[in-house]
Amino acid sequence: MRIHQQPAYVLHHRDYSETSLLLEVFTARHGRIGLIAKGARRASSRVRGILKPFQRLLIGWSGKGELAVLTGAEQDGPDTSLAAQALYCGFYMNEVLLRLLHRHDPHDALFEAYQNTLQRLRHDDTNEAVLRIFEKHLLRELGYGLVLDRDVVDRAPIEAQAVYDYIVDRGPRRLAHLELNLPTEGIRMRGASLIALEQESFAEAAMLRDAKALMRAALARHLGDQPLHSRKLFRRVVATATGDVMAEAGVDKAGG
Amino acid sequence: MNDITVLEALKQALRRLPGVGPKSASRMAYHLLERDREGARLIAQALTNAVERIVHCKRCNNLSETELCPICSSPRRDKSLLCVVESPSDLVSLDQSGVYNGLYFVLMGRLSPLDGIGPEEIGIPRLEALLDEGTVKEVVLATNLTVEGEATAHYIGDLVRARRIKASRIAYGVPIGGELEYTDRNTLARALAGRREA
Repeated sequence: MRIHQQPAYVLHHRDYSETSLLLEVFTARHGRIGLIAKGARRASSRVRGILKPFQRLLIGWSGKGELAVLTGAEQDGPDTSLAAQALYCGFYMNEVLLRLLHRHDPHDALFEAYQNTLQRLRHDDTNEAVLRIFEKHLLRELGYGLVLDRDVVDRAPIEAQAVYDYIVDRGPRRLAHLELNLPTEGIRMRGASLIALEQESFAEAAMLRDAKALMRAALARHLGDQPLHSRKLFRRVVATATGDVMAEAGVDKAGG
Repeated sequence: MNDITVLEALKQALRRLPGVGPKSASRMAYHLLERDREGARLIAQALTNAVERIVHCKRCNNLSETELCPICSSPRRDKSLLCVVESPSDLVSLDQSGVYNGLYFVLMGRLSPLDGIGPEEIGIPRLEALLDEGTVKEVVLATNLTVEGEATAHYIGDLVRARRIKASRIAYGVPIGGELEYTDRNTLARALAGRREA
């Protein structure tokens, strides 16, 4: 099987033998694939500088099975490196994708969402909101979309002022007055936060905090026990640089 | 039977070298045993010496025969300048450029969260301790121009600035003798963005 000129992003690269690279690539039409890029680390390699994460590429490969062979790669569009905080967020996205995507499962809508998120990370300073929106799309594309628009018990639309108890597998349930002081089994959040996540527009910091707690719980079900390494990196940043932006970017908070 | 096992053990040992597979290992083993036993002894002795005597410099983390490496103990070096590099070979390359007269810190790696390599795995706590001593006035971030190298530079840059120390990143652009026509466009973009007054 020979494939040509596919839009793709490198998710991860690893040195292989003396001069080659092992790549995990996210493609628009073929999903995540594993590739070996022979000779890509040679000084004379034409693809050495471009086989890097966050750069939109057009790639070709041949072979099937677990590892195919990269037959060509060119940069598609301008240099789209991420810098500073956005770079950490990019690592986080790539790690989540590596953990949750199976090889050869096409996810064209997710590819689109990934690409949009990279673009926003490059220009947007509210990294946290951008990541939450990506996570929402990711869950939906994987078939675990969250219910954000109605109460799962009475089907009533979400009310901004009400308080809900969100159980990840089921959805939000409006809490009665009497329940507000009692412990509940899900994640407790304001209706306004659910609406914000649904509409992808976060007006208040509290909405982002709620969205983070919800996404954290929803993703944890699929990520399993293995912690995300990129989260560990953020935790150190928060701990060492006081008032750091990553605390706001909110890819990590202790626990979970 | 016994000698075959010894030979196998040698081949297995040689295969630990990067880029050496079963075939090369076997060729090396036969060469040393049949043609160059003296060479084999030299290699064995050199390896034992190196493993026993080479340690990490307690200041810069580079490989050294002494507790403090020659660069760190040199009185002619500017102790207020600290250059952070990924590997000992990066240090050698930079030092051979001859324009840098400060000290170094060798990370022995780079941040690569997807491989589980975080700040602690690359000696960042030791670097922080060094910065806290107060002699360093400027840190030159000379990690590689890869995504991981950039992440590492950014991470360390934050730690440096949080201590009110100046952080600088090495410049990038067109190599000497390079022709623009043959330079890749990302390098050209960086070269333009980083242009300076002539």
